[in-house]
Amino acid sequence: MKRRDLLKTAGFAALALGAGMPVLRGRPAIAADGTSIFTLAYPAGFPDLDPATSFSNDGAVLANTYETLTRYIPARDGAEAKVEPLLAESWQASPDGLTWTFRLRPGVKFHDGADLTSQAVKASIERTKKIGGGASFIWAPVETIETPDAATVIMRLKTAQPMDITAAAGFAAWIYSPASTDKDNAWFNAGNSAGTGPYRIESYEPGQRAILTRSESYWGGWSEGAFDKVVFEIIEDVVLAQSKLESGEADWTFGIPYDNLESLKEHPELKVVSNPSFETLVGMYNTRRAPLDNAKVRQALSIAFPYDDVISAGTAGLGARARGIIPPGIWGHDAEAPIPATDLDKARALLAEAGIAEGGLELTLTYATGDALEALAGELWKANLEQLGITLTLQPMAWEAQWQLAKADPAAGQDIFLMYWWPTFVTPYDYLFNLFHSETAPNFNLGYYANPDFDKLIDEANTLSAIDRHAAEVSFKKAQRILIDEAAAVFVVDKPNVHIIRADIKNYADNPAYGHVTFVHELSR
Amino acid sequence: MHLMRYLLRRLVLSVFVVLGVTLLVFVVAQVVPSDPAALYAGPRPTAEQIEAARKVLALDAPLHERFSSFAARMATGEFGVSYKTRRLIADDLSVFLPATLELAVFSTVLALLIGVPAGVLTAAGRGGLLDRLGGLASIAAVAMPTFFLAMLLQAFFAQWLGILPLSGRLSKEFAVLAPLPSVTGFNLVDSLLAGRPAAFFDTLSHLVLPALTLASYPAGVAMRLTRSAMIEILQRRHIVAARALGLSGSRILFGHALPNAIGPALTVVGLSFAYALTGAVLVEIIFAWPGLGRYVSEAILSKDFPVIAAATLVVTLCYVAMNLLIDLAQAIFDPRVTL
Repeated sequence: MKRRDLLKTAGFAALALGAGMPVLRGRPAIAADGTSIFTLAYPAGFPDLDPATSFSNDGAVLANTYETLTRYIPARDGAEAKVEPLLAESWQASPDGLTWTFRLRPGVKFHDGADLTSQAVKASIERTKKIGGGASFIWAPVETIETPDAATVIMRLKTAQPMDITAAAGFAAWIYSPASTDKDNAWFNAGNSAGTGPYRIESYEPGQRAILTRSESYWGGWSEGAFDKVVFEIIEDVVLAQSKLESGEADWTFGIPYDNLESLKEHPELKVVSNPSFETLVGMYNTRRAPLDNAKVRQALSIAFPYDDVISAGTAGLGARARGIIPPGIWGHDAEAPIPATDLDKARALLAEAGIAEGGLELTLTYATGDALEALAGELWKANLEQLGITLTLQPMAWEAQWQLAKADPAAGQDIFLMYWWPTFVTPYDYLFNLFHSETAPNFNLGYYANPDFDKLIDEANTLSAIDRHAAEVSFKKAQRILIDEAAAVFVVDKPNVHIIRADIKNYADNPAYGHVTFVHELSR
Repeated sequence: MHLMRYLLRRLVLSVFVVLGVTLLVFVVAQVVPSDPAALYAGPRPTAEQIEAARKVLALDAPLHERFSSFAARMATGEFGVSYKTRRLIADDLSVFLPATLELAVFSTVLALLIGVPAGVLTAAGRGGLLDRLGGLASIAAVAMPTFFLAMLLQAFFAQWLGILPLSGRLSKEFAVLAPLPSVTGFNLVDSLLAGRPAAFFDTLSHLVLPALTLASYPAGVAMRLTRSAMIEILQRRHIVAARALGLSGSRILFGHALPNAIGPALTVVGLSFAYALTGAVLVEIIFAWPGLGRYVSEAILSKDFPVIAAATLVVTLCYVAMNLLIDLAQAIFDPRVTL
């Protein structure tokens, strides 16, 4: 009797719990009070909401809260890449590229009610530079900022740099209110926002969510159907993120394994949007140490790389074979760059030419733990190299440890360093300088490539890019051919940008210049 | 008086445990190859930014100076900032710790409420159908990997029946549209303080699945331990005497035998509570629960030592407190145990 009572009680308790609870099923897209919410299932948190120092996933939040002077629009569907006005209506460079004049958009207000003025722009950039964190180095060439009137900003540079593109950067280029420029990092991270953007930060709960709410006075106005609130739900588990999207609890996500995309494409309420990203996977050869100091050996390794297999198995065929280091969509991408097919016989011949006896070569490759694409690339390459008698040891490491090892001593480090690169602001120089310009102490040139002619070529092209972008492009392409000829690295795959959205969301377009950022103001349901 | 002396002795011992752990964390931080300055300088720092960070963090100071300032920070609870996120660790802990404790306490209560009675009942019906089913269930509960159980529960209760939420701590209604003011960080308590029963039940419904997942292992073990202890106790003479006196079956089981048999179960459940503080990473990830486990595992992967140190200290304190509580509870339940 007792036992049955106990079970009965437990059963009733469970039922009562289930019935008594206001469980939200189906689609909480529009709440009972009519608030429309755009929900992003985001796989990581947002540690730094300070527009001066943020240099991580936080950009996804800040891009809806703050604005930059300009915005980069990638080359797509045959249209050329361009820089569009945002807070600046127009701009002009002096013939030497050292003086840049920006005219500000009239009638723009910050969230706190202050007007957007040239003084505010100056104060923002100066605070960002002074703190010196995050991506503040993008402003390094700026010597002085002048404000002849409230709507005009003049930047005077030490060295020429394309400031229209710099000002469009996804980090450190945000313009914020004069009242906030004496605030510290903690003030911003407490959830205060001081931008001109369409949304303001309402709250941030680490590990759970960030909530943004509409700034009614937004200069761009509000179209019918635009969202009242933006919610970033922090969900690390991809299975969970996928469930949330399928059930309509979330509207947008990324990072779903490529293998699952086929089933998602079948789902009538979901859309899989795939475009090229600006992220490219590259294996940096240790050019300082034998045998990879020999270009022939590097060429042999590159030609033994199983490109097609990695792209089809690692990215479900959505990635594109990298043509050098600059991905498509960026000015300076070399669509005609030669990319030989995988050819083990030719690799064998090259190794023989280099005097490498078959069977004696042992190499180490380091990559970031947990990165499925890198792991796969390593495994498949290893299998190919085995046929050439080369033993490739794969060494997965935490990124921090991988990087430390590579920076410590080129003579004792890895032979091949597998990593992704994306630009802080959209110029070929970002890739070419960071990864291949000679460095006295290694920072990101982790193949330790050093070529004075190459250095000179890209430095000059960078200066030229402030004045004549087409001429600069020619030099940048020439520089990329040098890297390909010398096999300074193995250029693996340009990663696809894959985002999953609910099919009823209108006007969605991803912009690879702003990694995994969604400009929610443009969307509606 | 006796109790006070006991508590004092345990307290003094705890101080040494905490000191030892602090020293250990510091030593490990020195030995593991990593560059805190590079971590602090951000995801893609320039060489200058790394040098500036080295100065800010005073990483060039002699070892003993760095240890003493580290120990002082640990002692005062001023944990400083995370190298990786530069956020105040104390702020983060104030979010993650209550969320974890809420889940751990709830699942511990569940484990005890399921495991102990089940152990008693299977011992009473030893060899019977209930005992055999119970044996099967407890083995399944212990052997089932947490991530698998979590997904099964989600699929059944959330996606198929739709009576419990899939993940998170609160529904959108209470998290986004009318946020619950955070007073204690425990949503169950905060919702009651705010006088919002709907939010309370919402919190409760979100707790059920992750707590059940976490409770499965300790409940299974507690059941087996209680069962075997009960079987032994039930053969004792004082139980025979109680039967001869004509006491009711349940009175004998729960009133006389269980207090003598509950010790091992309490120990296991108590320790699994402490383990759940940081060991529940998988459950936290699958249910998007903002727990300490997720926080610490992220810190460990990026070698974020201030966070690791702070969390280690907090968890050590919880372990020490839990051990003490278990010992006290055993003394209270079982008259044979003296402190």
